[in-house]
Amino acid sequence: MIRKEAIAIVVEKIGNQPIISANGFISRDLLEVCDKNSNFYMIGSMGLASSIGLGVALKKIKKKIFVFDGDGNVLMNLGSLVTIGITKPKNLIHIVFDNSSHESTGGQPTATNKIQLSKIAKSTNYKVFQAKTKNQLAKTFQKIKLIPGPIMVIVKIKKGGVVSKRINIEPIEIKDRFMDSLKK
Amino acid sequence: MKELTQKQIFNYLFNNGIENFIGVPDSTMKYFIEHGFKKNKILITTREEEAIGIAVGMSLSQSNSLVFMQNAGFANSLSTITSLVQLYKIPIIFLIGWRGFLKNDAPEHTKIGKIQPKLLQTLSLQSKIINEKNWKASCNWALKLIKEKKPCTLILKRDFVD
Repeated sequence: MIRKEAIAIVVEKIGNQPIISANGFISRDLLEVCDKNSNFYMIGSMGLASSIGLGVALKKIKKKIFVFDGDGNVLMNLGSLVTIGITKPKNLIHIVFDNSSHESTGGQPTATNKIQLSKIAKSTNYKVFQAKTKNQLAKTFQKIKLIPGPIMVIVKIKKGGVVSKRINIEPIEIKDRFMDSLKK
Repeated sequence: MKELTQKQIFNYLFNNGIENFIGVPDSTMKYFIEHGFKKNKILITTREEEAIGIAVGMSLSQSNSLVFMQNAGFANSLSTITSLVQLYKIPIIFLIGWRGFLKNDAPEHTKIGKIQPKLLQTLSLQSKIINEKNWKASCNWALKLIKEKKPCTLILKRDFVD
């Protein structure tokens, strides 16, 4: 399963619920798969998608908040897992598309094939699920429906695949339409 | 800054619509943070960038935040400020403790303390130095900028050596 396929499966499962997506290829794939007002494309500030997601989750407790993260992004802000672990937002679902590489910058390796991200997340009070196939990924979303967060879903994806276009929406517009979608 | 003034600043901002106080502690604003803890309004993060990210998420949810840190942490946050806060025009009040303001402060603060005003200027981040006399006017200035959806900075000088 490549990242874009995984994103398509997840997006279909979560519908119009808010997504904070990490910079690089993840946001680009999300834009191409399903652009909508409730997507917040974080185009800079690598590592911070989970922090932004936490901020939204703590304030919008009636909505489920999804973070689309990458392995490189998570490793850059492991402290965020600690803060999520102490604030325990029931409505936060943190999805990590893990290809053990910094694909957006040329495929250099990350450490997620040498350490266990799942163990780190478990030790910071996440409930952790893993999916390696499309079938497992779809089933995981059935499983987590009624479980309170914080939840991490680690989706193992293949390196490579298609390269999606850059985010072509102005940052202010991304913000404004995301904020409007949260009001509904 | 006196304990009483720091408490007054916290209360004033809180009573005027700042709902979240997030950051990494600094001794310069010790009483401000202590007072916020008593009111159960403080969230301590592992790094400053993380605090800014959380504040951005809260701002997207229509809830205003103050992010506190030491100036060394502000230096950590430069890229987050340019590529997140300023890029998306997110209103946040930064409260920064200014170490290295006194020439006899600890050596690790000397260089970064010296360039603190220049860093703010380079970023075009509006700022005011807050003190015993001007604190209310400075808070009003910051609250006005927040209403205009602009980020801004209040600087608290470290005017003692321990």
